[in-house]
Amino acid sequence: MLRKLVNKILGRKPKEQNDESFWAKGMQQFRKNKLAVWSLRFVKFLIAIALLADFLANEKPIVAKYQGETYFPIFKSYAVDLGLSKWPEELKNAVWQDLEYDWVVRTPVPYSPSNMDQNNDQYASPFDDQNVSSGYWRHWLGTDALGRDVLAGLIHGSRVALMVGIIAMFIATLIGLLLGSLAGYFGDEKMKISRIRLFLNLLFLFLGLFYAFGVRGYALTDSFDSKESSFLWEFLISLIILVGMVIFANLLARPLKAIPFLRKKVRIPIDIIIMRFIDVMLSIPTLLLILAIIAITGPSITVVMVIIGLTRWPAIARLMRGELLRIRSLEYIEAAHALGFSEFRTIMRHAIPNAMGPVMIAIAFGIAAAILIEAFLSFIGAGVPPDQVTWGSQLAEARSNASAWWLAIFPGLMIFFTVTVYNLIGEGLTDAFDPKLRK
Amino acid sequence: MLKYVLKRVLIFIPTLFAVSLVTFIIGAYAPGDPVANLLSSNNGGQGQAASRAAGEKDYIELRRELGLDLPLFYFTISNSTVSDTLYKISRKNHREALERLSFEYGIWDNVAKYYEVTKKFETELYNIKKTKKNAKSLREAKSAVYTLLETYDEQKIKTLYSNLQFLFDKTPSLSEVESYLNASFNAFHHVIDNKNTFGRYVPKINWYGAHNQYHNWIFGDVPWFGEKEPGVYYRSEGFLRGDFGQSYQDRRPVGSVIWDAIWWTFMFSLISIFITYLLAIPIGVRAAVKKGSRGERITSTILFMLYSTPTFWVGTMLIVFLCNPDYLNWFPSSVSMMRTPEDAPFFQRFIDTAYHSILPLFCWTYGSLAYISRQMRGGMLSVLGQDYIRTAYAKGLEPKKVIWKHAFRNSLLPVITLFASVFPLAISGSIVIEVIFTIPGMGKVIIDALHANNYPVIYTVVMFAAVLTLVGSLVADILYAVVDPRISYSKK
Repeated sequence: MLRKLVNKILGRKPKEQNDESFWAKGMQQFRKNKLAVWSLRFVKFLIAIALLADFLANEKPIVAKYQGETYFPIFKSYAVDLGLSKWPEELKNAVWQDLEYDWVVRTPVPYSPSNMDQNNDQYASPFDDQNVSSGYWRHWLGTDALGRDVLAGLIHGSRVALMVGIIAMFIATLIGLLLGSLAGYFGDEKMKISRIRLFLNLLFLFLGLFYAFGVRGYALTDSFDSKESSFLWEFLISLIILVGMVIFANLLARPLKAIPFLRKKVRIPIDIIIMRFIDVMLSIPTLLLILAIIAITGPSITVVMVIIGLTRWPAIARLMRGELLRIRSLEYIEAAHALGFSEFRTIMRHAIPNAMGPVMIAIAFGIAAAILIEAFLSFIGAGVPPDQVTWGSQLAEARSNASAWWLAIFPGLMIFFTVTVYNLIGEGLTDAFDPKLRK
Repeated sequence: MLKYVLKRVLIFIPTLFAVSLVTFIIGAYAPGDPVANLLSSNNGGQGQAASRAAGEKDYIELRRELGLDLPLFYFTISNSTVSDTLYKISRKNHREALERLSFEYGIWDNVAKYYEVTKKFETELYNIKKTKKNAKSLREAKSAVYTLLETYDEQKIKTLYSNLQFLFDKTPSLSEVESYLNASFNAFHHVIDNKNTFGRYVPKINWYGAHNQYHNWIFGDVPWFGEKEPGVYYRSEGFLRGDFGQSYQDRRPVGSVIWDAIWWTFMFSLISIFITYLLAIPIGVRAAVKKGSRGERITSTILFMLYSTPTFWVGTMLIVFLCNPDYLNWFPSSVSMMRTPEDAPFFQRFIDTAYHSILPLFCWTYGSLAYISRQMRGGMLSVLGQDYIRTAYAKGLEPKKVIWKHAFRNSLLPVITLFASVFPLAISGSIVIEVIFTIPGMGKVIIDALHANNYPVIYTVVMFAAVLTLVGSLVADILYAVVDPRISYSKK
């Protein structure tokens, strides 16, 4: 729908139906799989819920007139978080649900996930009488020991689940694509760089790591203990230092190449190096590694995302390598060489896009696995800080009170559906793109 | 073939080395001080004045016994403010504070001097006789010095000094050690007045040689060849000779901790593997042969759903609905709650164990059952489309014979190789089931060890898991070649 509209506005012609490109064919195949298409719709729906979570379940109203002034409290809280605005004195510690508004438009679920309803704590069942003033205030899916609304927790939990799945796989895909395509495209023979560049790169990689993470170690750990956002900032600075130094090394190598001895090329068996690295990664028990690192850093969503991302790339790298080994000897890559395109352009524009099919399969299954790992970690109390509500942590509460069936069923169903849906998409993509099934 | 296996086994060495390094580095950065934890669990907290010297001695001795008094690794790479003798300072929290101080102010010698003087001050403080009058101030002064030694923040240190000064002014009987306080105070000011942060930007490599914690863990310090020399203190035989060190929690040998636990996990795993293959193969074959029929589609859907149902959800649901007096109280919710006496007749114990194990076993099995059935179905489907199957049918063989004799054997390939990945799973794959049903197996050992920063146990478990993974994938590759004659590793 939207695409058609955009095309119309821009005056573009819609894509031809009988597009023979690899992508168009694959997607055509994918669309034939009803289950997979519905799964994709469910994912879109879930993403919508995650994005709109604040407007679906919130203690603050969407719009309200309070003491003669009109507020948009949810938008205002965004502004306050960004430091652009301030709450008036009387609203700073307000209990939003109990305020006397002149008029008010509330969210569909009038609770935030961390709101403790003291009238309905100690596991209010969805079917029993609840101590609420009207049906609107009912906890439709019950509450937990502290009186937190389960439905609100589910809505906001979708954020954590999707974020972990998507960001973790984003990291894994970046690393996997980079290393996999290097290994597959260059193999053991084709990567040659001059002596001076090799030397300077190694030297500055060492120095870069030293200045970015060694010298700044305390800055990083201090910021990690204080606030997660400031840690990300410090980490970014470190990353910039590292990347900057490596770029500097390559710039420095350029003039030095004038000396014949330094210009001599060295062959790097990049394929073997990366494959050995993958072997090591695959023989580390991932779950144990994650648990061990969390034992050091303390429960944190950021850490969980990053570690899952850093440990799940080998599958993608392997697929990418295999595909590129096949592709690099095809005619059109030769044609690209003959046209004098740079290696970088050939890889980025011609090789990688045509190898993405199998990688997409791995990404879909990987997201499912990442969501499952996060839920598992939260379930055993290692994933998120105790005050944060996720599907896994809600499910864990069912263990402390086995009579609270609603805490076992609803979060579990959410995990189950989300994981199943991603697996179904993976299956659909497999049918559409798997090289083994290609005729 | 033999050459191929040898080559693969040789690659194990660098891989395992890398895995051991990763875990070792994680362990080295773990918070908490195992020595202090063990001591405080033994005698209930910090020793009092009289026993302080003894406590210090205990600490140093225990640290030596656990092998923590050595440098971490063969070498260190650090900024040049870090002293190469830092590891000799026994208390971990002091070590961390001093490293930070020398990083902030740049000159190790000053920091070392400050530490020496402050330690001296602490000792003198403990030598003061406790009287009724000064008891409170003395206690406060001691705790202030205790905090001082593990603090690196300038503002906090200054506050501590002014607190101490205040205590000393208030309590005349403390004045005999006031000179030590002043010395410590001056040394600290010497540190901050001579700030020079240039050193932190200069990398430095220290070489420590083979006498280090990592070497001890892997190779041990007992000589490999030849006799032990008398009078030399030996710490360990090393991982390679089967000495996995001591558990930090109860000082039992790690080997025996793991041995006790692994029995449970292996029992569950073996039974579960057996059931899985017993059921999964016929289900998978049937699903492939009857492809497209209604029964097959239902089976496949159920298998797919089982495959993507998280174990911890199933476990929780089982406990909520089947082990709960409110709904159905059919099963016990915990395996470790088994109450059969040890001397009960074998049969009774067997029945009881089985009864307690039904639910965990179900959780253990259903996922892999679904997975392997699906693999079996996939493998069978691809074989059934082959020409030779059509030929077999065409020459008039019974369908049963075609399926089992011709198709089945050729479709076993993916399933057999999966068998190899089962072993590493036996070590870590069951964490959540063991947590839910409180089974005293490997998963529980791992979780407990992680909660207590019990790194010797974690190192061992990770290393074993890595070895099993490597061996598993090697076995899988060999099985490939054995099952499928088209695959050969010798010619390449």
